[in-house]
Amino acid sequence: MTQKRSLTVLPVLLLLLLSMAACSKKNTADVPPEVVNFEPLTEIKEGRDDIYLIVKIIDSSYWQVIITGAKQAGDDLNCNVYLGGTTIETDWKGQRGLINDALTNGAKAIVLAPDDSVELATDIEKVHDLNVPIVLIDTAANTDSYDKCYMTDNLLAGQKAAEEMLSRLKEFGHTEDEQLSVGIMAGMATSQTINERLAGFYQYWSHNAPGKWSIISDIMNCNGNIELGDQMAVNTMKKHGDLAGLFATNNGPTRAICKAVSDNERTDLIIVGFDYSDEIKGLIASPDYRASTMLQRQYDMSYRAVGTALDLLSGKAVDIRFEDTGVVTVNNQTLTDPDVVELLKNN
Amino acid sequence: MKNKSAKEQREINILKGGNSFYSTLVICLFVFFLSIAALITAFNNLISMHDKNLSGKICTLVTEKMNHSIDSMTQSASSTSHVLSAQGFDSPSQIYEILNEYGKSDYLSIGFLDSDGSMYATDEEKIEFKKWDLKETALRAKPVSMSMPYRSALYGKPVVTVFSQFEYGNEKHGYLFLTYSLGELQKMAATQSLDNDIEIWLMNSESANIIQCAGGDEHAIGSWNNAYLVMQNIDEADRDVYREWIDKTRMGANDIGISYSIGDTLYTQFCSRISSMPGWYVAVRIPSNALSATMSTFRNYVLYFLAVLMLVVVVLITNMYRLSKRENKILTQLSIHDSLTGVLNRRAFDFAAEEKLSHSKGAALIFFDIDYFKQVNDQFGHDAGDRLLVAFSDTLKNNFSDRGIISRFGGDEFVVLTDMSSFGDIAESLVKTTDDVRSINLNDDKHDGPGFMISFSAGAAAYPKDADTLSRLKKCADMALYATKEKGRNGYSWFAPDMADPKANRVIPTEAGTKTAAAPVKSTPVKPAANAVTREQSVKPAVTSVTREKSAKPAVTSVTREKPAAASGAAAQAVSNPSGKKVVKKVVRKVIVKKVVKKKPTPPADQTV
Repeated sequence: MTQKRSLTVLPVLLLLLLSMAACSKKNTADVPPEVVNFEPLTEIKEGRDDIYLIVKIIDSSYWQVIITGAKQAGDDLNCNVYLGGTTIETDWKGQRGLINDALTNGAKAIVLAPDDSVELATDIEKVHDLNVPIVLIDTAANTDSYDKCYMTDNLLAGQKAAEEMLSRLKEFGHTEDEQLSVGIMAGMATSQTINERLAGFYQYWSHNAPGKWSIISDIMNCNGNIELGDQMAVNTMKKHGDLAGLFATNNGPTRAICKAVSDNERTDLIIVGFDYSDEIKGLIASPDYRASTMLQRQYDMSYRAVGTALDLLSGKAVDIRFEDTGVVTVNNQTLTDPDVVELLKNN
Repeated sequence: MKNKSAKEQREINILKGGNSFYSTLVICLFVFFLSIAALITAFNNLISMHDKNLSGKICTLVTEKMNHSIDSMTQSASSTSHVLSAQGFDSPSQIYEILNEYGKSDYLSIGFLDSDGSMYATDEEKIEFKKWDLKETALRAKPVSMSMPYRSALYGKPVVTVFSQFEYGNEKHGYLFLTYSLGELQKMAATQSLDNDIEIWLMNSESANIIQCAGGDEHAIGSWNNAYLVMQNIDEADRDVYREWIDKTRMGANDIGISYSIGDTLYTQFCSRISSMPGWYVAVRIPSNALSATMSTFRNYVLYFLAVLMLVVVVLITNMYRLSKRENKILTQLSIHDSLTGVLNRRAFDFAAEEKLSHSKGAALIFFDIDYFKQVNDQFGHDAGDRLLVAFSDTLKNNFSDRGIISRFGGDEFVVLTDMSSFGDIAESLVKTTDDVRSINLNDDKHDGPGFMISFSAGAAAYPKDADTLSRLKKCADMALYATKEKGRNGYSWFAPDMADPKANRVIPTEAGTKTAAAPVKSTPVKPAANAVTREQSVKPAVTSVTREKSAKPAVTSVTREKPAAASGAAAQAVSNPSGKKVVKKVVRKVIVKKVVKKKPTPPADQTV
């Protein structure tokens, strides 16, 4: 009887297996990331325009500078600024919800730092089509339908990072005849910002680096995980005896490589990263290490974006739609430059 | 014994319970699924190969089309340059005026560099030129050149600028520039079919930077990436192929095609150099499943059809098998079982016994014969006889079926082939059988009289000690049965090598001297049955007291027929059985059978059997 039952069940099981094998799809229960809904950033006064600011990682130090810039602009330029944002940089769906909320709440203009240049393009177009001024900051979107964008041209920023790397390597005494390699750690393979920085770095390197200086073709991708990035950097240090420098495309990987270099006391390595985390700050301040970072002018981005939004609301035209706010190289030699000192005040 | 015919084997399988159908069905299912798996694999390989070939061709065509699109851009610049050169303008300002008048609406930016490097463009355009170092590209225009894609601050989107050399004044060289949106390339390279699946990239071989020009998502146009970063997403097994491809582009190779997988998707990629952009390639890639989607759907339909077909076939076969099995069961019952008692018939027993002996290390074959069965039939009728046979066979089943096979060999004769761990073990079962047989009550509604006592005679032979084949074993047991009968029935005997063969008309040797000299007969009577009517009691007073002993099988002869001188006495005697147990037996010394009785006497009518 058992045999008969198993015989009946067997084909069904096999069929199920076959079906599962043929059309298997991963079915993971994704936990939706948190979204921070709009709260007033400035004092809310009647009769002033409501500007809605949507940022990427609301609690990170980099974005706090942006928030500070927007608040200051609201106070200086006499408008109400509301703040909302996501807690992780990939939550473009969360930002989509925030855009809709801003429109529902009657936003006069939106200042947006898009989590995804491609996915949010249609949402940006929708806002633009509703004649609500939309000003992008930090990251561009792959659409023409926005009013203005204040951001770092990341291709140029990447080039500048490569320039700094080459310059520091030469300063450290590496000769053109010497065989050396440089490792790259990326934060997220899908981020257009990171890809552009990487492309810029490669572009400058391929045109200007000596023939014997190479980039390790296996790009480390830590996906924002600092512990993983630390481990990857340590492995690269062990694997490549001729390693002379490490380049990180954004804040997370920069922290990771700084930690690895610091923990292993690799004072012989040149570090070039982005943003101003405690880790890179420590290495720049130390006379034993050779670290540099590309500091964006994010305060300017948000401050000017709020100003532009108000200009647009008052009917002023925009001449240049894309404005590169540029990066400033910070290292132990430039720390006292007035421009850097001024910039670091907000970081 | 080992060489059985297929028919015999089948019958043995039936006797063993037969599971050949299930085995066959499982094997068939296994083969079926194996075949399906092979079919799917072959089909997938075929699709994959087809896709790869077709994708390669499509990529080649799209690459050519893309190259033509770029050429048409440069051609446009080149034609304008020809016109400017042909006009023979002297003043650069005049040229700029003309360009603005006729070309401003067609291009994002239009202007030129004069022979001194002065730029005739808007202030914003001049900033862009400086920012992206476009003068360097302009000077490479001999006759045309193209910038790398860059993000225009004026328009906020990726653009390319094409340069073309022209002549003006007195053999002066100027460089016309025309700026296009990168999206223009997509428009020119667009295909009606597979538009959402084909991705077109421009790639710089030195930096391995790539920028998307066309693809399913129009918003992705202008996205920068680097081939080394893309490589991190490619399946590890294909990374070396991809790395080789990058290296080949660095070495300036042309028309390179590769295939690689990212997750479940197989991509075919083809690239070729752009003549107007030194160091730049057009790369086109297409996911192979874009082509095989229809074929895959068809494949899945075939699979579902086969699966349903298989289910139907399995259900049908199973039902047919069940019907067939039910019929077979009836037929088998009829063919291998005795219809009255339900035990195996003689033929079936032979098959089953052969099989059992082939795996046995020790067994006993016992012939049973109901004493005076004919008298039961004659005196109480055939119904009573049948009831006795059924009751007797039930007794045998109760005592032997858990370790042996039972058969009715004919008439009142039964045979049991049972596992044997020791002679004592068999002796115990026989004693139990004797008790059980005695308790058989043949009374029914028609025959309600004094109860009659049933007894049996048995002869046993041990395998492999006494014989190592079934036929010889049966002969031995038969001889032992014969011996028991000769001794007066209601007992059992183990075979001894010196027993007479009844068919050879030999007699059991006696101490008094008989026709044939032989070793003493081993005869083990079971418990004395006080009212058991035996042949000796009823017919042959000389042998009324059949030797009754309760012992294990004597290795040689544990209990022997005594000499006449000692026959009158009875004494308790300890007899060692093979297992070492001492059994106190009442040994009744008996007179020796003087002669062989060949005709069974009829028991007296007033005696119970």
